[in-house]
Amino acid sequence: MAYKAQYYPGATSVAANRRKHMSGDLEKLREVSDEDLTACLGHRAAGSDYPSTHPPLAEMGEPACTVREAVTATPGAKAGDRVRYVQFADSMYNAPATPYFRSYHAAINYRGVDPGTLSGRQVVEARERDMEEVAKEQLETEMTCPGLAGLRGCTVHGHSCRLQEDGVMFDMLDRRRLENGTIIQDKDQVGVPIDRKVDLGKPMSEAEAAKRTTFYRVDNVAFKDDKEVVEWVHRVWELRTRYGFQPKN
Amino acid sequence: MREIIPNKDGRIQVEIFPSRLLNAETAEILLTELNKVEGVFRAMIQGPRLPRKVSAGPGTGEDVRHTARKIVQIADTAIELSISVGRIRLEIADADVKEEIRTVCERILPFPFEYRTGHFFHSKATVSDYAKHGANANPSMLGMMDPKANVEDQVCILGAQKSD
Repeated sequence: MAYKAQYYPGATSVAANRRKHMSGDLEKLREVSDEDLTACLGHRAAGSDYPSTHPPLAEMGEPACTVREAVTATPGAKAGDRVRYVQFADSMYNAPATPYFRSYHAAINYRGVDPGTLSGRQVVEARERDMEEVAKEQLETEMTCPGLAGLRGCTVHGHSCRLQEDGVMFDMLDRRRLENGTIIQDKDQVGVPIDRKVDLGKPMSEAEAAKRTTFYRVDNVAFKDDKEVVEWVHRVWELRTRYGFQPKN
Repeated sequence: MREIIPNKDGRIQVEIFPSRLLNAETAEILLTELNKVEGVFRAMIQGPRLPRKVSAGPGTGEDVRHTARKIVQIADTAIELSISVGRIRLEIADADVKEEIRTVCERILPFPFEYRTGHFFHSKATVSDYAKHGANANPSMLGMMDPKANVEDQVCILGAQKSD
């Protein structure tokens, strides 16, 4: 029987959503064009070629190396792209993703990525076109609600603030806002105005966000309600504690 | 229910903590209505800052032009909101005023809010207050502003012209 990966324990909706994020089995909810994504990321002009940091690998004449032969280079590495980043902030008020699960999604489903997990934001560094592929999937699928999450390269403040009256996560740099029922972004990740208004789609309703979230919250699905998760967390903590206990005499 | 402990002037302090950050329009209506209540002596609003310029990252120096940063009119005074209002602290005369304020909030705020009594403005000058304002600081200004800021930028005295 073929092995089927078991990503995360638990019987609640939060646990099921966490398994979805980790496995990459995600529902696509919206469309963001490549040019719009490039504009929002702000690393190069929309529609321009990818700048490179070295010649394509095929032209470089690589040394004989078993590891290089065994590991196929990613498209970005083959082309010699620069390493660039995408960074998301997710509201603690039932945003679909949490920083850890964005990292798990990137690390499990993509090669050549370097996810960084922080308390209120999550960054993925990779070759530019590889990074854009991760960013596009995370932005277009149920991993992101445009109202409760945002592309934020700097000044990420807002993930733990109360939501605004219109239900949108606070953004100090006003990169995106609710206009006529959809979220419109007119600045790039770092707050520099861009030449277009990017429609990121409708924000999720409160009920939908509560259904799709990977946050355990006492006012939605409490962590302690998920008996299997609690059991496994206890087991992992116990085993790592025992492993770390090394009497010297 | 917690006992209301007045300060030495017999005044009490309350805090309104809405479950959402107020937009400028709601904040203007609420502050205007609170200003109409007799027996409110001091008010302080607090919330996340709305900067004029980007202060970090590659976009440093770019204008933000935040849509929430608006000029609000409270009585005869125009104030530029440089924060998104998330908390309002008031010093009021007595428990009757407290209930009147609760009624105003219930009427205006379209979402739940926390409403509590406590000591929110400090009554003795701190070292920072001493460094900024000296030994003879106006006691009614204590706890009203960031000690690093200018009084003119952060404190409005409503109806000051009338009383003059």
